[in-house]
Order: sequence, then structure tokens, then C-alpha cells
Amino acid sequence: MHDKTVRRRRAVLALLVVLSLILLTAYFGEAPSGGLHSVQRGFLTVVAPIQDGANKALKPVRDLFGWFDGMVHAKSQNAQLRKENARLQREVVAEQAEKRSYRELLALFHVDQLGVSAYHPVTATVIGKTPNLWYSTVDIDKGESAGVHENDPVINENGFLVGRVAQTAPDGALVDLITDSSMGVSARVGSSDATGIVQPKVGDPNDLLLTYLPADAQANEGEYVVTSGTVASPDDSLYPPGLVIGQVTSTGEEGGFKSVNVRPIANLHELDIVQVLTSVPGSQPAQLSSLVTSLPSGKQGLAEPSTAGQLASTGAGG
Amino acid sequence: MNGQGVSNGLIVRLAVLSVAVVFFQIGVVSEVPVFGVTVDLSTLLVAFIGLLCGSLVGAASGFAIGLLVDLALVQTLGLTSLVFTLVGYACGRLRELRDPQAALTPLLVGAGASACALVGYSAMEFMLGVDAPVSLQLLRQIVLGIVVNAIVAVPMWLLVRRCLTGGLPKDPRRRRRRAYTTGGLSPLSRT
Repeated sequence: MHDKTVRRRRAVLALLVVLSLILLTAYFGEAPSGGLHSVQRGFLTVVAPIQDGANKALKPVRDLFGWFDGMVHAKSQNAQLRKENARLQREVVAEQAEKRSYRELLALFHVDQLGVSAYHPVTATVIGKTPNLWYSTVDIDKGESAGVHENDPVINENGFLVGRVAQTAPDGALVDLITDSSMGVSARVGSSDATGIVQPKVGDPNDLLLTYLPADAQANEGEYVVTSGTVASPDDSLYPPGLVIGQVTSTGEEGGFKSVNVRPIANLHELDIVQVLTSVPGSQPAQLSSLVTSLPSGKQGLAEPSTAGQLASTGAGG
Repeated sequence: MNGQGVSNGLIVRLAVLSVAVVFFQIGVVSEVPVFGVTVDLSTLLVAFIGLLCGSLVGAASGFAIGLLVDLALVQTLGLTSLVFTLVGYACGRLRELRDPQAALTPLLVGAGASACALVGYSAMEFMLGVDAPVSLQLLRQIVLGIVVNAIVAVPMWLLVRRCLTGGLPKDPRRRRRRAYTTGGLSPLSRT
């Protein structure tokens, strides 16, 4: 009797482990349009409305926790933000004059640039968030029926970049945040023309790394890192130019390139409302998005500096 | 459990509790960082189901909860299932072999299960080719995750035990132990 129980227990364990391994292998090996991915999308479709309802019902609880958390940090943030505000006001005045000149120059040279105006923002509510170190993703309540497609850029209510759409279902979508290990965004430091790739630092949700910058590129502490929005093939970027990603905290050198530590400016822990920058079929953003979707799946590393620009426009970057 | 039949009542309780905890985790807890990390209630749930119900139910629940997490979060399917199956089984075996009754058991089991889950998950991610260095930051996050989960382990244990108590079958070994502690049936008391 005892032997039978032991055999049964071990058989069940072996069965479950083998089943997990089969699922893992099949899922990892199949294309995003494969059966298991479809089941996952179907599940997302079913649970998205439930999650949405639960999210609304549990908002007071979340707000309560958020209130306590906010109170702890509010005092120290207040003084810092006042200083920041004064500095930004000075900068805005200077930028306005530059912006006018820039527009005049663009018109003069008939240069068209892919900007946020080329996209149609769709406002969505965050209904779920991944809890572990390895994935930084959120579920949102808008999907294909609202015009959301894979690889659409996602910004928060302040216009700061938070991520891109990784998978879609009819009434929901999964967004990879900029701190997710699969992300890479082509970007530049505000004062510099040199572009690099912003990648997450796995294990540190409050830090990003801007890599593959030329060794002589300028990057000062406190400067803003923005999407480069490159439109010169083959370095096309999925993201419109000028979306703020974060602020420079420190710089270093790695393999002949400058690397810059960047603190994300969007509060990724408290995302409630986001905007998905959807694109009109046939437009340049839509073409870029479909190009990326058609590329082979799989996690790609960003080891080759020479391909950094190209990777920035693939699924691993942008 | 332990080869005994599992009642329908227990299955329903497990299912309801699992779904509720996973959605609470995704909808609320994941958005409230504590010391820069988030509490992982699903790992604690699997560990305590194993500790209360035994290895067989622990492993099966771990697989199901892991699958639910992977489906709901659109993660690599099977990864969390594999880790949780092993965590549930290990906690169940702990109960079957040692039946720990100390007040600190939930805290220690919670911390141990979280450590196994975090390290196992990280190891699997590395094997699957995530391009990330094993940095001090990563180790710090793992240690913080274990500490934070250990803090939440005791209230979570009380919740899980309260929810499952009515559905658990009578365990003859536990009855015997209680009888000994009263002194009435202990062989020592007869002398």
C-alpha cells in the first residue's frame, strides 16, 4: 500500500514536470502565430474584461497603498521637484525659440519627419502587471478592436515612453515596459546627436543603460535621454523622435563605447492610464510595425555594436 | 492527500482561492512595490497548499497555478508551472516527512519557497537565453524578494489555512499527536 502511494506520487510529479517541459519547449519554439500563443491570446481575451472589473473594484485598495507610499517619499521629492520645475521653466523659454527656428528650417528644406502627429493615440487602462524580476509587462484593456497592433509605442499620460505593445487580443493587449529584458530603444542624449540603444538592467527596475554611444559623445548628469526616432534606413525606429525615456545618472565606458546609466522618468510602478500610439494602415509607422512583426521570433541579443542600429528597428529594439 | 482521496469541496476551495489570489496579485499587489520589489503571493500560496494538503495536491496545484500565471501574464508557457510544481511538491514532502508545527514554520517555508522559486526562475530564464549579467543588483533583488515574501508569509498562511481547513480530510497522524499532547494516551503517561 505504501509502495503504491509512493509510486503514484512520483508518477504524478514526473508527469507534471514532463508536461511543463513539453509546454515550455513547444511555446519557446513556435512562432507568435502558433497554437499555444493563440490559446494565450484567447485567455487574455476572456480574462481582460474580468481583470478590468477587478482592477476597478480594487483601485481603492491600490490607492490606499499608493497613498502611504507617496507620503513617505513626498517630502523629499517636493524640494527636488521645485528646483526641477524652476530649471525646466527656464529651459522651456529657450526651447520655444529654438523650436520656431527648427520648424522654419524644416519647411525651408521640405524635410518631413515622423513625429507623434503621425500616430493616433488610444487611451487605455492598465488592468494587470507582472510580479517578477524577469518580465516587466502590463496588461491593458484596449486591443485589436481599438486599432492597437503589435509594436505600437506606448506612452504615459505625460507623454513619456513606457514601452511597446508585445501581443494583442481583441479586447486587450500585453505591453512590454522599457525595463523588460526583451526591450531595446534607439535613443540619444538630449544635447548630443549620437544615438545608442537603451536597454534594461535586469534586476534593477529603476535603471536603464544607454549603450553603443561613441566614446566622445557628450552626456551630462541630469540630461534627458529621448527616443532618436531615426527614419534613415536601415536605422528606422519604431518610436517617434523626442519621447523622453529618462535622465542620465552616470556615465562609463565599455568596450570602446560610452555607456550611460539612465533612470526612467515615467513611474512604471504606478501606471494607471497609458496611451498607445496606433498607426494608420499604410503609414510609415504601420509599415515599420509590420516589418518587425514579420521578422523571425526569438530573443535576440544586442551583442554586436555594428548591428545596433538595425537591431534598434527589430523586435529587440526600436 | 498522501494517496487519500481529495474531496470535491477541497478542489473547489483550491480553485477559488487560486484564481482570487492570482488576480489579486496581478491587479493590486504587483503595483505596490515594497523596498523596490513586489510580493509574490502565488509562490506563497503554492507552498502553503503543499504544506497543508501534501505533496500530490501541492504539485498539482503548483502546476495549475503556474499555468494560470503564465496564461494571465502572457509569459513563456510552462516556466512558472515547472517551478511551482517543484515548490508545491517539496513543501508537501516537508509536511509528510517532518510535519513541522513550530510557530515560525510558515515564515521559514515561505522564505524557502520564495528563494527556490526566484532562483529556479532566474536559472530557467538564463537557460532560455535572456541576455543579462548576474549582477549584484539581481542578487539584491532576489534577497529582497525573499525577505518581503517572508514578511507576508504569516498572514498569507493564516488566510490559506482558514480557507482550506473545512475541506481538508482528517489526518490520523495529527489526531494521534494531539492525543499524546493531552497526556491521556501517551505511553509515557501510563508509567
